Parts: sequence; C-alpha cells; structure tokens
Amino acid sequence: MGKIHTKKLFVRALNKKFGKDFDLTGKKADYAPFKELGVLQSDRKKEFIEASKKLEGKRGISMYNPMLHAGGIPMGQRQIVPYKLSTTEYIVEGDDLHFVNNPAMQQMWDDIRRTVLVGLDMAHEVLEKRLGKEVTPETINNYLEILNHAMPGAAVVQEHMVETHPGLVDDCNVRMFTGDDDLADEIDDQYLIDINELFPADQAEEIKAAMGKTSWQAVHIPTIVSRTCDGGTTSRWSAMQLSMTFIDAYRMCAGEAAVADLAYAAKHAAVVQMGEMLPARRARGPNEPGGVSFGFMADMVQTQRVKPWDPPQISLNVVAAGTMLYDQIWLGSYMSGGVGFTQYATAAYTNDVLDDFSYYGCDYGIDKYGGWGEAPETLEVIKDLTTETTLYDMEQYEAYPTLLEDHFGGSQRSGIMAASCGVTCGCLTGSSQAALAGWYLSHLIHKEGWGRMGFFGYDLQDQCGPTNVYSYQGDEGSPLELRGPNYPNYAMNVGHQGEYAGISSAAHAGRGDAYALNPLVKVAFANPALLFTWEDIRKGYGMGGAREFRAAGERGLVMPAV
Amino acid sequence: MAYTPQYYPGSTSAGVNRRKHMAGDLEKLRDISDMDIVAVMGHRTPGADYPSTHPPLAEMGEPDCPVRQLVEPTPGAAAGDRIRYSQFTDSMYNSPSIPYWRTYWAAINCRGVDPGTLSGRQIIEARERDIDNYTKTIMDSEMYCPALSCMRGCTVHGHSLRLEENGLMFDMLARCEMGDDGNVYYNKDQVGVPLDQKVNAGKPMSEDEAAKRTTIFRYDNVAFGGSIGDRKFDEGLIALHHVWERRSKWGFRPE
Repeated sequence: MGKIHTKKLFVRALNKKFGKDFDLTGKKADYAPFKELGVLQSDRKKEFIEASKKLEGKRGISMYNPMLHAGGIPMGQRQIVPYKLSTTEYIVEGDDLHFVNNPAMQQMWDDIRRTVLVGLDMAHEVLEKRLGKEVTPETINNYLEILNHAMPGAAVVQEHMVETHPGLVDDCNVRMFTGDDDLADEIDDQYLIDINELFPADQAEEIKAAMGKTSWQAVHIPTIVSRTCDGGTTSRWSAMQLSMTFIDAYRMCAGEAAVADLAYAAKHAAVVQMGEMLPARRARGPNEPGGVSFGFMADMVQTQRVKPWDPPQISLNVVAAGTMLYDQIWLGSYMSGGVGFTQYATAAYTNDVLDDFSYYGCDYGIDKYGGWGEAPETLEVIKDLTTETTLYDMEQYEAYPTLLEDHFGGSQRSGIMAASCGVTCGCLTGSSQAALAGWYLSHLIHKEGWGRMGFFGYDLQDQCGPTNVYSYQGDEGSPLELRGPNYPNYAMNVGHQGEYAGISSAAHAGRGDAYALNPLVKVAFANPALLFTWEDIRKGYGMGGAREFRAAGERGLVMPAV
Repeated sequence: MAYTPQYYPGSTSAGVNRRKHMAGDLEKLRDISDMDIVAVMGHRTPGADYPSTHPPLAEMGEPDCPVRQLVEPTPGAAAGDRIRYSQFTDSMYNSPSIPYWRTYWAAINCRGVDPGTLSGRQIIEARERDIDNYTKTIMDSEMYCPALSCMRGCTVHGHSLRLEENGLMFDMLARCEMGDDGNVYYNKDQVGVPLDQKVNAGKPMSEDEAAKRTTIFRYDNVAFGGSIGDRKFDEGLIALHHVWERRSKWGFRPE
C-alpha cells in the first residue's frame, strides 16, 4: 500500500461556511435558531425580497415571495451556508452561482458560442492561384486590420451602410496563429496569438508539430450578436465579414465567383465549430452546448498552459467549466429549465471537496505507482486506485456530517466521488478510458456501500456504463475525448458531462500533453483578449458571484439610465 | 422450493440484514393501525372506499389471453383501484433500510409494484389497496425506525443532514415530532398536509439497535472497506469488483 495522505482541504471551507469553531464532525444539530430566521438569514435572499417589492409596483403583478415555498414554509429551516470557490478565497452565496446571477458564467459560455476557427491557407490559395494576388505578411497584417474593423459589424465595401456602435461590440476580435514561426514573426503583435510566448516551450513545440505550418484565425464575434441570435450565427457572421474583408484587402471584385470560394471556406471547408450540430430531436445548430465534445471542452480551459506541473488542478478546472456549461446551462436550461441543476454543478467546483478527494487519490497513486502517467493501464490498477479513492471519499462524508450536509443530494456525492476517481485514474495512467473505467467503478462502490446513489436515470447510466468503456462498437465505444453531451448514453443526465470533460483532460494532463483533442482549440482560447478567465475557471465564477466581473454584450450604452 | 436463494454475500450484520430484507424475512416490531397508515399516506380519507379507475376485472369480460390466465391479478388490480404510492426517506445515520434494499424487498416480495430508487427517497407505486398493505408491512417491520426513516412524498434532503438533537431525522416540513412519551408522531401526511389526528409511529430504535439492524455500511459501524490505512474489503465489495470487471470485459468484445 502506498503512503496515505489526508489533507482534508475541505475543512477550511466548511469552517468558513458554518462558522469558526463549529463542530464539523457532530452528527446531531440544533436547527432551532434557523427555523425562526428562514430566508432572512441570507443577505442575498433579503436583497431579492427588497428588489421584488420595488418591482411589483412597476410590473403590476406579483413576483418573488419566499413564503410561497412548500406551502408556506420558506427555505432556511436549516442554516443557509455560502459557498467557497475551490482553491480561491471567493466566498459567495449559492444564488450567486446560478448562471442568471453570474455574468462571468454567462461570459464563459458566450466566449465559446461566439468563437469559430477559420483556416487562412485555403483562402490564400484561392487568392494566389486563382486570382494571381500576392499574399505576404504585409497583406495579411493589412487584412487583419480591416478584419478587426469589419468583424464587430462595420462596413468595408458598400456605401451608405449601417454599422454597429463600437461600444457595444468591443469584445469582438480576430487574431491569427500559425505553426510557422517565420510567418508569426512578421505578424503585428496585436493580431497574433503567439504560441511561443503563451505556452511552455515543450507544449508550443507539440502544438506546432501537430498543426504544421498552417495558419488559422480565432474569430470571436460580438457577444451581443451571439446572445441575440444563436451559436449557428457565429460562422455565418464570421464568414460574411471575412469575405467582405478579403474583397477590401485584396481589391477583389465583389461579385466574382471566387468570393463564393472564400465564403465556402469560411462557412464549411476551413471552419472549426466549437460544437457540432445536434440532431432534430435536440434541435440545436452548431456552436450550441450540446455539441461541444468533452475533448474540446478540455482544450478550451487553459490551466494546462499555466500550471502544467499540477495535473489534478488542470482537470478540476475543466470539471468546473464543464459542469457549469453542461449541467447549469445545457441540461439545466436548454433542455430542462429551472433552478435545481445549479447545485449538481456547484458541488464540483466549490468548497475544495473534489480537490481534496482528487489530490488524495493522486497522492496515493503517485506514491504507489511512481508518477504522473506512469501507472499501468490495467483493470487491476484502476480497481486499486478507484477503490481506495472512493472509500476515502465515503469516509469523509461519514466522518464530517457537515460535508454530507453540504452535498445533500446523492447525485452530488456520486458525481464528486466518481470524478475524483476519474481524475486519479486519468492523471496516473494517462488514459482517458482508464479514467472512465474508474468513474464507473466508483459509482458502483458508492451504490453498493450505501445502498443509494443518484436518481433514477443517473443510476441507470452509471450501472450499465462499464460496458461502454472499452467497447469497439462505434456508437458505444468512442474515446472519451470524442464523446459529448449527445453521446447516446449521456444525453439525459445531469451531473456527468462536465466530469467527463474533466477526466478526459486528466489523462492528457497526466501525460504532460499540450492539448487533449485539438491543438487549434487550445491555442484559440489562449487568446488574451477573451474576457473570461480561461486559466482559472473557479476564480472567474468567484469574480462573477462577487460582482467583480464585467461581461460583454450589454445594452446600457443605448438605453436610458435606470 | 428446495433452493434457497443467496441474495447477498457477506457475514457482517449489514450483509445478513441485507439478505433478510431481500428475502422478506422481516421481524415485526410494532403494529400501526390500517387507518393510521392510510392517514399518513394521504391519498384518501381513512375508512373511505377505494376510488377506482375501472370496473372490477371480473365484470369487464377480459379477452382470452394466456398471460392473463397465468398471472393472478393482485387484489387492487382485480378491484380496479387507482395506482398510488408510498415513499420513504432513510437517514444516512444507520437507518435500518436504504433505498436500493427497499426496492429489492419490493421487487422480490411484492406483486404488481413499480419501485423507484433515488438517493434520498424510495418510492413504491401499486394499486391502492396493495400499496396500503405493503406500506403497513414496511412500517410495522424492522425496515422502519420512526426516527431514522420517514414517509416523505417530497422534500427529502433530510436523509443526509445531521440529526435533530432528539435523534429525529431533519425535516424542513416537520412532518414528525417527538412526543413527551418517547414516541414519534406524524402530524402531517407524507406530502406535508396537516393531519386531523396525530399518528403514533412508535418509539425510535436506540443508537445501538439501529447500528445492529442497519443495512448501510459505514466506516464507524460496519465498514465496507476498512478505514484509511487499514483496508479490509467486505465480501460484498469483492463481489462487486468481480461484477465490474466482468461488465468491463464484456463490453470490450473486439470480434
């Protein structure tokens, strides 16, 4: 047996939540003080009540009234505790983590939805071979200058055109990146995502080797456009402005057929969408959350670039991004609606619980098997890592009743425990399928030990899950990085998808890879001009909850002051 | 039947209790009246006739069907009763039963049931007179402790909360209260509607008795895998490893 670590990172968070000197291990509680306070023990709920009172007069119809809860019994019959964003000092109320109340969360999703990657090489070939135009670093710089005028919604060719107010679309930008160092040296810094500068040297080399000497544009259209329209708009908006920019920059005829080639490249042949289009029964276009693969999600998060020495931290940030997008926004709103889904996700990125569980498993594995990515990928090793980690996790819930109370739903506990095992197995073996195998075994151990797990469908997915880990059948057995929210067995269940993204990243973090699935996505989200804090997801959520984050896409500039 | 099913591995008290529950070999600990059970379930006024959704099967002229000839209808199905439910919440702190074992008990021992298993609650749906009977069996038996388990149709997160100081499982709807006589009383039905008369559910199990009768594994009672630094796997965990490994390998099938 390896050396045992018990850091119990969550204890500090629990002390902040429940109060200093609080007995975190007591099994019995005096709930009486909270019965009298109800929702009034929460500053945020009090704020809601006050806001609603003011608004009802204006609205002429009733609104927020916590006394309507449960037939007249308001929330707050027990202590309403705040949440600490894991590894940060941000402590916010639960309400602050609903995406409606958290502009940083919205911006995270906006940053994805408003992004497409468009290859430059195909367009340059059309310009050079078909039209006989000269393409040089100078012409590319000129093109990028025009593009950063046009992409936010400005005219470049026609007369008497309407345009967008720069103050409403200032988040829009296009930068290029390339695996060709010589070309990169010639590109104006303001238009370049500099792979050599932003990534550690070994990661930069790996990325450049993967993309060759190709050149790409990271297109981020205005947030306000993608919020008004949808993810499918992004490639269309982008393609229109790209085509018009080529016409201007290379003095093309606006009506010649070659323009169609450029548009076709921008819309189809040379475009990488962040999310695949979904089938009719889910009825979403490209660049909507249900089509964002776990591997892409892993690559969007940039922790791997700034903390390559800390594989669990990398994975946990992907978990945080994934649970917010997939649970809170995709399943919780697009597919379902309401408020309940938020706390499936918060369990994964607050109070240092998943962090503690994951570091425990990783420490155990490192001590026993030698190092990141060095454990053999065998069922025996997965069984060992997962069993030890799950039993540790369960013991913490048993030993700290306040921790159990914090994760008051079985699906929260099941997801967190299984995620810690997935992260552990991924980081230690360097295999995402091994990580997935650990995920499923953890659920089974949890269910068997406590005789309960999540909810109906949650349990269904995980109890039959081991059979799809190593399946060779195409619709069952994809590598985890290629699976996504619309993968057949994953499409309906909250509390899983973000964790899958996290544990697929764990494998690559453990191997020391620069990216999980697509180097282009990894580089595009390294763009320093993106608004969300892609290097530290939990910090971003904390800033949003603490009302320190300013998102794009607001309309205040063109509306009367409140 | 000569064959005695081996429902669950292990010789610990948790393993033995799990086998007992699955086999329906339950010890009767109390006797709550039919009327009181019906009151807490809250589907109809105690003593009222069973509402029906169709005429009795005997009056319906059923089609000539071999399955119908093989399967004898439950009393509720024969009478045309509605399908109703009872749902229980079990505390993580050594409640005698736990959701999956409630489901196993129902699926193995009861006819015409639709059990549903979640983390904080377990529901059984059946024809009304059938679920009345099944619920009485549960509440009279060692599957039920008035303090650590509770009929709750909604708002069930108390299962994972710390216990009240008097040992009752937390309930934001306060459906139960501890009486001065040491008995637990329901003052609301399972969805929180106040009852005309309180229902006496009996005395809670002592902590020692609950620890003895529980089906949950906990590191501080019957451990599933020992504790940190001192691992010892329960037979149930070893069997589970086998199941997981077989499922994983079966899915591989490279042919």
